Amino acid sequence: MALLKLAVRNLLRNRRRTVITLVALVAGVGAMVAIKGFILGQRRQILENQMRGTLGALQVHKKGYVENVLGSPLTLDFADTPELRAKVAAVKGVKAVSPRIEFGAQVSTPDKKPAPEDGSDLPEADRGATSFLMMTAFDPALEQVVTPQRWEWVQWGRGQMLESGTAEQVLLNDDFAKGVEVPLWKAGTALPPLEQRLAILAPDRDSSLNGVNVVMVGTLASATPNDRRVGVMSLGAAQTLLRMEGRVTEYGLDLVEGAPLEATRDAVAAALGPDFEVHTWEQRIPFVKDIVETQDFVFGIVSSIFLFVVLLGVVNAMLMSVLERVREIGTMLAVGMRRRQIVSLFIGEGIVLGLIGGSIGALLGFAWVSYMNAHGISIPAPGAKVPSLLRPSVDLLFVGRAILQATAGAALASLWPAWRASRLRPVEALAHT
Amino acid sequence: MAHLIELSGIKKSYQLGMTEVVALRGVDLFIDVGEFTVVTGPSGSGKTTLLNIIGCLDRASGGKYVLDGIDVSNKDFDDLADVRNQKIGFIFQNFNLIPVLNVAENIEFPCAVRQNPEEAGALRARVEKLAEAVGLKEYLHHKPDELSGGQRQRVAIARALITTPRLVLADEPTANLDSKTSEQIIDLMLELNRNQGVTFLFSTHDPRVVQHARRALQIRDGQMVDGALAH
Repeated sequence: MALLKLAVRNLLRNRRRTVITLVALVAGVGAMVAIKGFILGQRRQILENQMRGTLGALQVHKKGYVENVLGSPLTLDFADTPELRAKVAAVKGVKAVSPRIEFGAQVSTPDKKPAPEDGSDLPEADRGATSFLMMTAFDPALEQVVTPQRWEWVQWGRGQMLESGTAEQVLLNDDFAKGVEVPLWKAGTALPPLEQRLAILAPDRDSSLNGVNVVMVGTLASATPNDRRVGVMSLGAAQTLLRMEGRVTEYGLDLVEGAPLEATRDAVAAALGPDFEVHTWEQRIPFVKDIVETQDFVFGIVSSIFLFVVLLGVVNAMLMSVLERVREIGTMLAVGMRRRQIVSLFIGEGIVLGLIGGSIGALLGFAWVSYMNAHGISIPAPGAKVPSLLRPSVDLLFVGRAILQATAGAALASLWPAWRASRLRPVEALAHT
Repeated sequence: MAHLIELSGIKKSYQLGMTEVVALRGVDLFIDVGEFTVVTGPSGSGKTTLLNIIGCLDRASGGKYVLDGIDVSNKDFDDLADVRNQKIGFIFQNFNLIPVLNVAENIEFPCAVRQNPEEAGALRARVEKLAEAVGLKEYLHHKPDELSGGQRQRVAIARALITTPRLVLADEPTANLDSKTSEQIIDLMLELNRNQGVTFLFSTHDPRVVQHARRALQIRDGQMVDGALAH
């Protein structure tokens, strides 16, 4: 029965104390699950923005590209052939491949007024501006699978995404475009005259400056604080500008759901051989990994403190229970209970407390996380213009682990009171009043 | 024939701060199977200490104690627990029932906590038989706080007997009972002693208990005054 039944009944004996201890356990474990859900939701939000909005799960580059990314990476390009794409796409776990060129460019906006007919200079305020931007060129039909989040950013900006992989079109950051007063061209309408279009200037592989006139078909809302000076353009237009016909600087890869990131990276690297390097999104933006590690560390400390405080309550409740039942313990010892049975009885009470409190807390926390996951919490990232919906999430494994931790913790917390109870001498315990 | 209890030169002293208090000063005592014995004496005379040692609830500071042929003087804590469980039944002044267990569970408790408990059905049958013997068959599912003092003590008697012990120790068993109930409890124990041959050893101030005892021992200042007073 015996001990477990007795443990449960003993907990029901002082219901108010048991309820208070349970409430503390429920609150502590529930908060632990909720915080974990919030952290995982935030992590997913970062992932959505960085992996699904900028990089893709994996990137393929020519060997040495990432190391020289601040130098002149255009020289580390490679031929974008159907065979190469097919080779990458054939690797198990790879869902889509999108060729890209990353390059630095100057964007010159057109003058706001025509030049004076008398030949005098246009006033400074009416002149166009030139600014430096980081451009990413891609074919929207291929890129949409790899970084679908960009399309959402367009929705929160203005206009539309690039019409094709060859159109002489760009999208710029919305704040930047407003700041330098870039005119927005509505697709389907007549193209403006050349002097009213944007000029994109960029050095090619040989450092010769080239230019192309483009129209801005849309803007990208800011998703992170440091994305003001970025833009995207069609891959074909960029290849013409940079004199890189048929060549790219990277492949962005999307993976099938559940494909292991690092194993797939290694498989792609093996398929391509030593002339290429393959990186995961985590390797390209290590700060996100740092954020994840920091979050895990902070969560570990916070949940440990939560659990410690809650378990102090369990220790207190169990100690009170021992003190109130000294003579009863004496009776049990007198009729032949062994010390380890006394220990088991009190640890059993702790386990029941931890199991019930932990289960209710974890399930309430899980219910809250599930509700919030369905409805979302509107918390934009600092400096972002994209209304970011944080969707907390937590898996059942964590919920199970939280219950286990609460139960094991309560059992541990009961150890000292149980030991004290077991060390009572029957003759003294029976004389206790 | 060997005695059930053989105490030889039992001494017990306590350390209270810097002072040593001597509770027993070399007690020799022999009790046979089937005896109905009381130990009397004034408060502080050492009778409770003597019963605690006989009940293996406490250890003597010196001397030798043989219970049912087993020298229990130097047994460890868990071995003593087994001896108590198998050979001794306890009846306490305050009944000492476990409040969260009902009558049946209280009675079977000493058997339920054994290392190898007997089959539940057989145990429950014995519990019911014992409950009937002590007049509590109708109360098996009642909790102790739903019983009168006399009924509680009957539960305690049944609990003491469930293990079919060689010895039942009763420490002031009638002290918290009214006269009528005390008489009933004494009669019940006498009946069990007569019919089932259970050996009883009491410590008491109650003259009614002494009156019914076949043997009365008196202790004073930690020493037996009379060897045996037979009735």
